[in-house]
Amino acid sequence: MQNKAELKRRIDAIDFAIYESVLFLDTHPTDHRAMTAFENYKRRRAELIREYESKFGPYIKQVDDVTPGKTWAWIKQPWPWENKGDD
Amino acid sequence: MWQYNKKLQYPVKISKPDPRTAQIIISQFGGPDGELSASMRYLTQRYNMPYDELKGLLTDIGTEELAHMEMICAIVYQLTKNLSIEEIKKSGFDKYYVDHTSAVYPIAASGLPWRAEYIQAKGDPISDLHEDLAAEQKARTTYDNILRLIDNPEVRDPIKFLRQREVVHYQRFGEGLERTKQRLNARNFYACNPAFDKNCGIDIV
Repeated sequence: MQNKAELKRRIDAIDFAIYESVLFLDTHPTDHRAMTAFENYKRRRAELIREYESKFGPYIKQVDDVTPGKTWAWIKQPWPWENKGDD
Repeated sequence: MWQYNKKLQYPVKISKPDPRTAQIIISQFGGPDGELSASMRYLTQRYNMPYDELKGLLTDIGTEELAHMEMICAIVYQLTKNLSIEEIKKSGFDKYYVDHTSAVYPIAASGLPWRAEYIQAKGDPISDLHEDLAAEQKARTTYDNILRLIDNPEVRDPIKFLRQREVVHYQRFGEGLERTKQRLNARNFYACNPAFDKNCGIDIV
């Protein structure tokens, strides 16, 4: 059973792997092994986000992930440069 | 266009302010070889590139550099939070404080504000890629120098991540250069400029 901070960290790590494979594919546009890795990372990220959301509520990365509630959630909670984690 | 991801690419968690360190780190924001230069250089050069992989690489690395700039600014922000006037005077941070208080402003460690002359968009892919290779090495050296100057492990951790990214970007730009040369005349790569001249170079897969 993973806690919130641990799951967020794992999602961040897979985001990084995805971006790394994007840069690699930019200069290796026919490398199918790299494309497979990219697809696998994306699938894994979707699993991790499903797990996060089942336990902790909405995983907000971009503004269009936000479902407005009583208040505008996008501006709530710490901004990335503040060291005030909810983790 | 850009979407913003509300997270840092790599965590920055600094528990103790230190304005002396902030004055060093800030060079990777507004200094000649910092992340603002890198992002502006690549995002500017990309428009005139003739080949898809160069447009992609410069867009994608340029975007990542904006995220790195954000990390550097987060480091400076956390190092300059809740300072006392005494700490500000003692650390020499008073010279910055007078003009910027505890705002994060793009200057070099020397105090020189960021300038567009730090970047070039020469309009020739071979020239531009060489500039980009050099830029990554200069950034790497700057991070090496920062690691020699700074002992605080909370600062060293994100800095080491950023240093490693420079090494990877250098690799990618090298591959971009090789793929560019593969399209050009192997007996004279400089015979024409594929970003400007018509019928310059061949297609590759």
